[in-house]
Amino acid sequence: MRIASHCRITPNRCLANGQPVPVQRSERPYLTDLYHSLSMGYPKFFKMDNLCKAGVLAAELVLRGSSVDGLTPRHDVAVVGLNSSSSLDADLQHLQHLHPDSYFPSPAVFVYTLANIVTGEIAIRHKILGESSFYVIPEFSAHQMAKVIATTLSDANINCLLCGWIEVLGQELDVLMMLIDRLNGPAPTAQNINSLYNER
Amino acid sequence: MNELIDKLKQELIEVLNLEEVQPADIDNNAPLFGDDGLGLDSIDALELIVLLEKNYGIKLNDPKEGREIFKNMTTMAEYVSQHRTK
Amino acid sequence: MLKRLGDSIISKLGIGSRKNYMAVRNGQSGVEHCPSGTLGVPEPFMASLIDRELLNDHFMPIGGNRVHFYTPFEKLAILAVHQALQQANIDAAAPQVQFILSTTKGNIGLLEQPEHPYGPQRVHLWQSARLLAQFFGNSNEPLVVSNACISGLCAQIQADRLLALGQHSVAVVVGAEVLSKFIISGFQSFKALSPTRCRPFDAARDGLNLGEGAACIVYQRREADCPMAPGEMRLSGGAIRNDANHISGPSRTGEGLYNAITAVRGGHSEPPAFISAHGTATPYNDEMEAIALSRAGLLSAPTFSLKPHFGHTLGAAGVLETVISMHALADGVALGSWGAEHLGVSHKVNITPEMRPAQGATFLKLMSGFGGSNAAIAVSTSPNTTNTSQPCE
Repeated sequence: MRIASHCRITPNRCLANGQPVPVQRSERPYLTDLYHSLSMGYPKFFKMDNLCKAGVLAAELVLRGSSVDGLTPRHDVAVVGLNSSSSLDADLQHLQHLHPDSYFPSPAVFVYTLANIVTGEIAIRHKILGESSFYVIPEFSAHQMAKVIATTLSDANINCLLCGWIEVLGQELDVLMMLIDRLNGPAPTAQNINSLYNER
Repeated sequence: MNELIDKLKQELIEVLNLEEVQPADIDNNAPLFGDDGLGLDSIDALELIVLLEKNYGIKLNDPKEGREIFKNMTTMAEYVSQHRTK
Repeated sequence: MLKRLGDSIISKLGIGSRKNYMAVRNGQSGVEHCPSGTLGVPEPFMASLIDRELLNDHFMPIGGNRVHFYTPFEKLAILAVHQALQQANIDAAAPQVQFILSTTKGNIGLLEQPEHPYGPQRVHLWQSARLLAQFFGNSNEPLVVSNACISGLCAQIQADRLLALGQHSVAVVVGAEVLSKFIISGFQSFKALSPTRCRPFDAARDGLNLGEGAACIVYQRREADCPMAPGEMRLSGGAIRNDANHISGPSRTGEGLYNAITAVRGGHSEPPAFISAHGTATPYNDEMEAIALSRAGLLSAPTFSLKPHFGHTLGAAGVLETVISMHALADGVALGSWGAEHLGVSHKVNITPEMRPAQGATFLKLMSGFGGSNAAIAVSTSPNTTNTSQPCE
């Protein structure tokens, strides 16, 4: 088992496999600028909440050059997300639509009030038909991530796993996405995950 | 009617977050849903129901009614002009 | 593989899994008309709600003066765990016990009450899970599974895998959900709610009902080759699969659910005793399920949905419906599906309003949800209860 590739996104900064991803900045939000710099041509991106935007961009970066090409349906790939505040960022948006003086709940906002939608968005974008799961823990924990990776790969049908810490709340943005496969290489141990998380 | 169509196009682009679409890109008679035309989906359809209620005071309870109304910009504008309460 | 040590259900229909199971057998439903203004929702709706005063009355004997410290969501979860532990006869504080909480929105209703006394951290799902584990003196970091409507099955599957890692031997899996304006308004905006009691798989079905509830299963790790004791109930397999199709619309081909079912069944061609379906009674969900069952060759298996009794209890549903189904398997019956008078899906799902005898030692529990997620688990009991082989400890 190895970490085949990884990506780190923090406010105003993105590293893919340790290398800074060049982003042409504008007055738009950082994630929008990052999207444009990746030339994804995926207009659905603009419909997503920030949690999904962050997860989809990170997945895009770690899957570039991998065998998960977005064209072939992949039954042997799983996508698992973890964070601390679940979908609270979208929850607060939905709440704004429930004001008694202007009560118009929006389905396009409400659908994002589930944390696992980000794993669904990634699965759609890359035709991933294996497992999708989402876990909530108090704070980033390389130890918990290593455990989740081990448990997900105990499904013998899964050869490849996208596992991401995707924490988004207001201005807070903290993502570590990893692509894990069953080949030999740097293992997804807590120690290795921690060093990727602390990469600068 | 053309004025209403233009206004609806602006509103549609805004509520559906069609960031890369300009009002001029939307053909008045091209299908809004499905793979041709604008390619909107089921959540977009529900969001358009909210738009009708919020901006025009039109309440649709059965989402199936939306299929005919939101066929294209022309059908949508016709429905709005006939049923609007604000 | 996991062995059930104890279970519980708290719902509008009562406290205790046997009580809830018998209520279902007797055709009772917790789903009621909730007039405009209920939970602050302007429009009326149908739902199965738990009386907060009653909840406090039941919480008092175990939580005493902490009744005002915990939120209704937390009290519900605590009560469910407490009930299941009484049967399980284990020390929940022991280091080999891992708590797993399944919920979609936890304490989210607190956002609607800016003046609430619980503190800003309380909307976090992990915070509720910690308070829950701490109530029982357990200091392992609990895990929260939040995978939309399939969470309760994912929590059981994850319990199985975590225990297989060897660090823990017992998992306390609890699913809980309370309703709020937050949740109901969203489902209303999706036009997903039925104005009447929901009718899964029926031609006249027009949407789902929501429900509140909590359920708990205490599981212990078991080796697959360990023979089953009479009456033992085991989680024998589970799989989670995505549709990769749409974030809210079910797949038109039942892809993810079909894949989850085949992953769980492996090479088994023997039909299950019954299928405990997701059966939300939305037009698209039930049709998708029928397609998946047809593709999996399971149309002949007796099938039912529990939603007309409890409503859709979201993050609790996977645990709650598994517990009811375990009791049905033990009794050798496939439960009736209220409202399924005239089949309204494109494949002949074997569903009837009446309860029927069921042959077999295994059932499948299915769920699907937003985010394109699907899950299936298989639960087995000993094929004949006169099995005298020595169970292993």
